[in-house]
Amino acid sequence: MNKFWTVVGFTVRNKLRAKSFLITTLIMAIIMSIGVNLPAIISLFDKGDSGKTIQIGYVVQADDSAGTKLSEQLKSYFASQEKPGVEFIEIAKAANAQEAEKALKAAIADKKIKGYLSFGEVTPSGLPSVTYKSEKMLEGSTTLKLESALRNVRTENILKDAGVSEEQKAQLFAPVAIESVQIAATDGAGSTAGGKDASEQGMAIALVTIIILILFFAIMVTGQMIASEITSEKSSRVMEVLITSVAPLTQMFGKIFGVFIVGLSQIIVYVLVIVANASMPHNSDAFKQYNIDLSTIDPMLLVYALIYYLAGYFLYSTLYAAVGSIVSRTEDLGQAVMPITLLSMAGFYIATFSLSNPDSMLVTVGSYVPFFSPFVMMLRIGLSNPPVWQVLTSLGILFVSIYLAGWLSAKIYRTGVLMYGKRPSWKELRKAMKAYKI
Amino acid sequence: MKPLKVDQIYKQYGEKTAVNGISFEVGQGEIYGLLGANGAGKTTTMRMVLGLIYPDGGEVLYNGKPYSKELLQSLGYLPEERGLYPRIRVSDQLIYLAELRGMSKRDADSNLKRWLERFEVPEYYNKRVEELSKGNQQKIQFIASVIHNPQIVILDEAFSGLDPVNVELLKSTVKELRDNGTTMLFSTHRMEHVEELCRNITILHRSNAVVQGSLKEIKSRYPRERVILKTEGDVNGLDAIGGVTKVNRHEYGYEIHIAKEEAAGEILRLAIGQTDIQRFEVLEPTLNEIFIKTVGERHE
Repeated sequence: MNKFWTVVGFTVRNKLRAKSFLITTLIMAIIMSIGVNLPAIISLFDKGDSGKTIQIGYVVQADDSAGTKLSEQLKSYFASQEKPGVEFIEIAKAANAQEAEKALKAAIADKKIKGYLSFGEVTPSGLPSVTYKSEKMLEGSTTLKLESALRNVRTENILKDAGVSEEQKAQLFAPVAIESVQIAATDGAGSTAGGKDASEQGMAIALVTIIILILFFAIMVTGQMIASEITSEKSSRVMEVLITSVAPLTQMFGKIFGVFIVGLSQIIVYVLVIVANASMPHNSDAFKQYNIDLSTIDPMLLVYALIYYLAGYFLYSTLYAAVGSIVSRTEDLGQAVMPITLLSMAGFYIATFSLSNPDSMLVTVGSYVPFFSPFVMMLRIGLSNPPVWQVLTSLGILFVSIYLAGWLSAKIYRTGVLMYGKRPSWKELRKAMKAYKI
Repeated sequence: MKPLKVDQIYKQYGEKTAVNGISFEVGQGEIYGLLGANGAGKTTTMRMVLGLIYPDGGEVLYNGKPYSKELLQSLGYLPEERGLYPRIRVSDQLIYLAELRGMSKRDADSNLKRWLERFEVPEYYNKRVEELSKGNQQKIQFIASVIHNPQIVILDEAFSGLDPVNVELLKSTVKELRDNGTTMLFSTHRMEHVEELCRNITILHRSNAVVQGSLKEIKSRYPRERVILKTEGDVNGLDAIGGVTKVNRHEYGYEIHIAKEEAAGEILRLAIGQTDIQRFEVLEPTLNEIFIKTVGERHE
């Protein structure tokens, strides 16, 4: 036991001291800070944009009553809006189109207006065709505002012609109210027990996505770390000294546990960074704007996330350790860990592609398969309502698999660390196991 | 009770026999030589002594007791393929390795400092291994194998890759350890080291022990076949003596190969009759010759 902790301590110390590790952690923390602050940053830019008002000029033109009328209607429409973003300004009175153009262009040159409208033939919509002219390219947002204003003016005109009362108009424009609430019909391990409205459902999907993503990366990154540590010990031949100093199993599990501590502390740092950023006042405002409410997170969901993280980590890390032990050179490692990586990716993708469909057959079956269940069962717990017994069964299968994987990996490890040269095939490995009496 | 007793160990990998019934004993304060060409079974034998793999037959006894995990602390191992963590400081990794062998951090630290002092490189304490030259890495590796004061040390090719000055330094250290009672199992290709250090040897060839015993006794078993003769003037008629197979002239004199030892006397008498003699020596066979003879003969 003593030696186990010596291995753990050595692993943790050297990992935490490595520059590459510190830099990676720092970069990730910065990226996460930016991610958390993104809503606030976006709304900052939004404000700057919406605060600006575009001045659009028009001319009272003697020979174009339809255009003049429309301009005045648009002016009164924008004047009645709370945040119009567009302001109509009468520039001059003119006798014909040429005169009007001249006056308006002069106004643009004087920076009194940004652009103006010119009108064409009356179209089937009842309004003349409209051209917005300005010096800028692709005035998308202004055009959009004008378009909705024009639509509004048209509707008003038609309703007025049809003699619809103000009350009927109000009824016509009132939004219909429909809300979808997710409920749980039975008691289960999921977090839907109290029912969830749309924004909470959105929250849950986002949260589960984040949890599965973290789970996946934590397992992948730490697993690879274990495998490469072991392979580098083997390729630098320090392994020969190590295996004559301490039992291979102590060494292997010490390494796994050491990297676990490193990985966990990394996750804790990230979580702290996220929480610290999220609790800053400017962010809570921004979150509210986007309907993000952290208090709706079910603590049980986080507990399950932790359990599945632990289970997933130890299941995968033992396999990564076994693969690391049979590879002699670091260059060969990437290829050798590919099957494990694909396995974890399969679980991850089953979970992420089923986000909108957490009750499918694939998900239900996947939530029992040991290599997939850390991801897939998290999805079910977060987004639907699996019965408690199903969760326990899935965990039970997972724990048995961890034991079996640990046992098998230990055997491979004890054989693998003694074998040098080309990567052994399964047959060679079995033969060697027999020869070494492992 | 001998510290290390290897009794009829036998190991088979699949169809191939790696070690075929080898036995030897190493006493306290003795360096035992294990010789053999590449692939003769040296590494497998050492691995079995280290407890890394179990013999299919026979047993290894340490102070009369079979292998156990606790025993690891009293074993030291210098592997043929050197290995240390390249990016970790010397002090960190050597103290770690000593701790793994059951030493306290404080004792390991003071031992390490003493050893660095002994090799006249105390400034390496805080250096990373990759910063050191190859020869100095070897010194660190050697310290790694003896830092925990082991009772039995296994040295696989201890002096390979070292310059002559460092070989002498390490050799004298090994002798010191021997004189302090450490038991050592020593494998090498370099016969002159064996002649200098080992009392008893085993020559392995294709998994079998072909020559075994004390160095002196082994040498006496092989006839003396070489005469060195240095004289004032030239000696004529050496070729004509019965039993002389070959005469070589060197800077230092004549090197005469003989088929039977009686010829040596004839050579001396002939030389005395012709000129003054400065040196006359009937040489023992070198271990190198014995090795090549025993291993070479069976090579066909």
